[in-house]
Amino acid sequence: MSVTETLLVFVGIPLAAVLVIAGLSYAGSRGGATGGGGGAKRYRPGRPFDFTPVWFLGRPEQLADSAGTALTAGAQAPALTSHKLEKASVEAPAGGTGGASDRW
Amino acid sequence: MTVGEKQAGSENPPEVLDGPFSTRQLLRIDEALRLADQGTGLVFSVFVGGLDEPIREHAQRLHRQLAEPDKSVLIAVSPNQRQLEIVTGRYARKRIPDTYAKLAALSMVGAFSGGDLAGGIINGLDQLASHAGKG
Repeated sequence: MSVTETLLVFVGIPLAAVLVIAGLSYAGSRGGATGGGGGAKRYRPGRPFDFTPVWFLGRPEQLADSAGTALTAGAQAPALTSHKLEKASVEAPAGGTGGASDRW
Repeated sequence: MTVGEKQAGSENPPEVLDGPFSTRQLLRIDEALRLADQGTGLVFSVFVGGLDEPIREHAQRLHRQLAEPDKSVLIAVSPNQRQLEIVTGRYARKRIPDTYAKLAALSMVGAFSGGDLAGGIINGLDQLASHAGKG
């Protein structure tokens, strides 16, 4: 075998194989993520999770917002304006509400 | 910033897909909410997003924004702060005592710590609704 042939066989072929495998695994990790139920934006505790806040209501008309911005189930809530915020905090002191808190 | 930074554009459905859930999960949450509302006569609501400090107060403020806070139950989840708040209104609290809310919170937190936001929310809704019973 000549020098070029040797190089081609012992360097070129392994390099090609490595590139093909790397390419396949890269494509697989991207394609697999979308197949796995939105894996690209999957929430993992402890890692920052970037998303748009959402507010769900069973019946959209239930938001005490006369602005008429109907919240379809799963739609975004309108931004809490400072006026509404003031109103909400003045109207009723937090008394009477219950519930629970927890962390994970 | 509290809720959505943009106004809820009525014909802007893809925006919700920027949220933390896939379409299938959204449908399941929607279904769970509907069933919980119908079964109990209470108003269930789920907020997923950042909560300002103090977190409990912020959740209560969101709860007060609902049409009938007294008979509403708000589940506020902040994935980045790893904090869950369940706020029950005056009337809803009689149907779902705090101890039961705490139990539901516990199971939800279990799912969240495994990274399953939608599953935890759906389970929690189911638990709260079944504790509340028929209205």
